Amino acid sequence: MDERLKIFLDAKLNADVSRRRFLQGAAGLSTLTVLGAGTHAFAADGKLGGELNFLGWDGEHGGNVAKPFLEANNIKMNASFQSAADEALTRLNTGGRGSMDILTPNKDFQAAILNAGTELFQPLDLSRIPTAAGLFPAFKDAPWLVRDGKTYGIPIIWGNEPCVYNPKKWDAMPPKYTDFADPKFKGELVLLDDPFGNIWLWATSLEMPEPSRLTAAQLQQVLDAMLKVKPNVVTVGASHGDMADVLVRGDASIGVGGWAYQVMIAKEKGVDLVVGSPSVDGTFYWSDSYAIAVDAPNIDNAYGFIDFMTKPESNAALAAELASGCTVEAAYDLMPENIRSMFPYDNVRKPGGGILGTQTVVPPQEPDGDVVGAPAWVEAWQTFKAS
Amino acid sequence: MLPAGIFYVVFFAIPMLCLLVLSFWRAKGFELIPDFTLDNYHKIFTSPLYRALMLRTIGVAFTTALIVVPVAFAISYVMRFVFERRGQLILQIILLSLFSGYLVRIYAWRTILGKQGLLNSTLQWLGIIEQPLEFLIYSNIAVVITLSGLLLPLAVLPLYSAMLNVSRDYIEAARDLGAGKLHTLRTVLVPMVIPGLRTAFAFAFLLSAGDFVTPALVGGSQSMLIGNIVADQFRGIGSNWPLGAGMAFVVVAVMLLAYLTVMRLIRWITRW
Repeated sequence: MDERLKIFLDAKLNADVSRRRFLQGAAGLSTLTVLGAGTHAFAADGKLGGELNFLGWDGEHGGNVAKPFLEANNIKMNASFQSAADEALTRLNTGGRGSMDILTPNKDFQAAILNAGTELFQPLDLSRIPTAAGLFPAFKDAPWLVRDGKTYGIPIIWGNEPCVYNPKKWDAMPPKYTDFADPKFKGELVLLDDPFGNIWLWATSLEMPEPSRLTAAQLQQVLDAMLKVKPNVVTVGASHGDMADVLVRGDASIGVGGWAYQVMIAKEKGVDLVVGSPSVDGTFYWSDSYAIAVDAPNIDNAYGFIDFMTKPESNAALAAELASGCTVEAAYDLMPENIRSMFPYDNVRKPGGGILGTQTVVPPQEPDGDVVGAPAWVEAWQTFKAS
Repeated sequence: MLPAGIFYVVFFAIPMLCLLVLSFWRAKGFELIPDFTLDNYHKIFTSPLYRALMLRTIGVAFTTALIVVPVAFAISYVMRFVFERRGQLILQIILLSLFSGYLVRIYAWRTILGKQGLLNSTLQWLGIIEQPLEFLIYSNIAVVITLSGLLLPLAVLPLYSAMLNVSRDYIEAARDLGAGKLHTLRTVLVPMVIPGLRTAFAFAFLLSAGDFVTPALVGGSQSMLIGNIVADQFRGIGSNWPLGAGMAFVVVAVMLLAYLTVMRLIRWITRW
């Protein structure tokens, strides 16, 4: 079977932001082993063993990376994978309370949950995760993880969503996303099916004061700007994998809101792609964290797991396997150069979250005064797609 | 009948009832609020976006059915009355395509219809076209072609089965009495295979109308169907389950109405 096809068969549909699904088919990518990482561990106030329930993005359970730790401590991991950011919350509200231990929320979802005061995560006892001291400055006390002095997550990977394009057709990306309305881009663009990412990019391009907090009029302005680009859009990719397929087949030459890893995959198929976002507008950053669910039944195993996965060797292995940025400073040197060079690490060497801390992509879930809520963004995106 | 009845109640009636109840609830933030509001239905019926997508969906589904059912009818006819001895063999060959996964077949169509796909490359190689035919992929045409390819085997099954019950004697008797080929087809064969036609049309029309994977993968930027909007309401931040539940019910009702109208039309034509 065609290797490309195999990858996409594994990438299930309808993942909202689907870096992880792309990786399902890229099995065997892990290039690092966790040699040197101590595998036998004890929680501060309890012995490990028994079960550990994981609900998060595919791959972030560390199927390969966590294996030595799980085996050494006789822990059976029950991993299930989410296809949408809010799936853990849905499970919690539909009888799943007390059945989840480890969750892997993304930055903006976790911030939204914490801001809304919605019950889902429990505050972490950092004394039980000593390895967290090794995080990059941006990930220590990151603003999206801390509320009322309590920390609710340990970042595990991060990255950004740049443009990925064919250098045979384009020397560089235009300075702004709104420039993609130029007719010279007709039949050349593929976007990701991500309402928040796309609307945020165009709101940034229109120099909205707060791109994630738009009034109805501003949202309409953004939609109008996006609709000017629509004639140039070939298709909206269901996932990052689908986007890559469109680019590799030559059906489009620019992927907006792409992923650096698509370059590597395309190279394997003999197609040259490069990364380069609009110089003025830039792009947005994401990060996923390990969090512990409220009423987690296996709390000691959960702490032991997070502590193990935050060791430099584990973090580097996981980040390499998921083709993402590592979050532990000492893991940087352990990363393969081809993956390490994909991400601008200067951003995470700054304290206070760096650009990840100041940048919010997802809008408020509910209207806030004149500011519209997330459902309005979804509807605007649907209007864009249907037009 | 009892096991079938229990299965139907547990796996269809109860989930549908839950969905119906949910359609009267509200979503607030990350929570579902039990309520009895008609707001969701009001929004569905007053939104130009949803109305336009509903019409587009009916158009695509109906076009697909208009292609699939006659082709399936012709194939079934050939299997039953032309190559009668080889009918089962042809059926097995047609059913072979169902052994591959749904996504595999969609990606296969993308390979065939793409800008640099099999069809465009062949046409260019033959010198018939100079530039790739871009409408073949990421368009409503691509959705209709792909859906037709996916659903054809399913439509052949009930039609061939219905034709197996039609004796050749009826056809020959009609011809002996002076009926032309088309007249025989319209007044003898079609009325006798109405149940098969109904099922074939239901497969082609209803499955097309409810599909959201094919439009997402080969439909491109202007071929979103109502199923995609419904799916969007059930995933991610900003989702609205009650609205999605209401949409699902409206889609079912509209498609059922369209289906019944077409069935009535077929019956009228065969009696005319």
